[in-house]
Amino acid sequence: MRIFSGQQAFVLQRLSALVLLAFTAAAALRLGFGAPVSLEQWQAWAAQPAAAALLLLLAAALLVHAWVGTRDVVLDYVHPLLLRLSILSLVGVALALLGAWTAFVLVTHAL
Amino acid sequence: MNPDRPVFLDLARIRFPVGAVASIGHRISGVLLALVLPFAVWFLQLSLRSDSISIETGGFFRLAALLLAWAGAHHLFAGVRHLLMDVGIGASLPAARASAYAVLIAAAAVGLAAFFL
Amino acid sequence: MRFRIYRFDPEKDRKPYFADYELEPHPSDRKVLDALTRLKEQDDSIAYRRSCREGVCGSDAMNINGRNMLACITPLEGLREPVTLAPLPGFPVIRDLVVDMTQFFAHYHATQPWLQNGEPPPERERLQSPAEREKLDGLYECILCACCSGFCPSYWWNPDKFLGPAALLQAERFVADSRDRAGAERLEALDDVYKLYRCRTIMNCTEVCPKGLSPARAIERIKLALLRRSA
Repeated sequence: MRIFSGQQAFVLQRLSALVLLAFTAAAALRLGFGAPVSLEQWQAWAAQPAAAALLLLLAAALLVHAWVGTRDVVLDYVHPLLLRLSILSLVGVALALLGAWTAFVLVTHAL
Repeated sequence: MNPDRPVFLDLARIRFPVGAVASIGHRISGVLLALVLPFAVWFLQLSLRSDSISIETGGFFRLAALLLAWAGAHHLFAGVRHLLMDVGIGASLPAARASAYAVLIAAAAVGLAAFFL
Repeated sequence: MRFRIYRFDPEKDRKPYFADYELEPHPSDRKVLDALTRLKEQDDSIAYRRSCREGVCGSDAMNINGRNMLACITPLEGLREPVTLAPLPGFPVIRDLVVDMTQFFAHYHATQPWLQNGEPPPERERLQSPAEREKLDGLYECILCACCSGFCPSYWWNPDKFLGPAALLQAERFVADSRDRAGAERLEALDDVYKLYRCRTIMNCTEVCPKGLSPARAIERIKLALLRRSA
């Protein structure tokens, strides 16, 4: 199955990692050194379309990263072909659902 | 013709270098974080729709906070270590060992901080 | 000196076990191989491979006190007792410390470890500048002892599909050789989620290489070369 060849997966994992790293650094700086953020401030910020888009990007990176990582673990330890395909499919569906749920939450909040 | 040959894989008898310890921690923390993802999305939803949020500080939640903080920190630090090694920074054996120790200690520190704060 | 040795005789034992031995120290016993030779005088049934006794043939690779080493160049002094000798982890055990290297060599052969150059041969040698020759340093010295692959967790979990650090280092040895003309095909053959990308840079391989080589670095070079090709 050529969904994510070895090199593609490798590159996606690194790219998504960089995106996540950037977000984490930015969040750490803002929350660590800026004034404390109240719940209202957070909700107001997340309601802006640009912010929602950014958060969607973060979610996408997170899901891609989780997919490649989980796939690596499954490929290492699960050897029977059918079992492996089943587990990977389940994980894929679960992550896709999580992505849809996140998008729904973010988009409905921004609207 | 494949006679049933045993394989020596007694992990307790194998002396793992520090890099391997950092690596398995990277994997374990990754799996932990992945398992927590649904809760993270649920928490995101709560944070955007509630009028107020209260944080529990009971013992169980402190332990959970420690575990999650450790997992996040270890996965992040070990990940950065891997990214740097990918481009050749710290790829020599002495540097790789030192950075592995640094990752282990820093992640443990973050975990402990989360427990006490 | 006390020893604990992994024993398994397929004709007598159902399961492997560790047996304890005691060896009177002798001034001529400097390396683990010396001790093994004298232990064999005590118990003739102990089986192990050995040949050059100077660290260049790779026959006596085994797990000594938890790390893969060559018995002939591992000093006895400083080893915690009981000195535990076990076969290379992850390899099928034929008997005692002798393991089946078939899969290991199959992976090596799969990388086509010979020079491929279809150009008409020159009068004498295919020339190589000193700088080009330097690129082979750290790669050609591999003695295929399997200490690295036997210490790689990724190889333990998928010995049939993951090529392992040794074979991958040899693959890079030919990719890096300026006289070789099959670089693109070699890299293409390696670009596989199992063959190459089971490597997670754990770096156990580099930690145990008795020749001081770094399969981890060779593998990183392969990954970067693949990236450059697709960029």
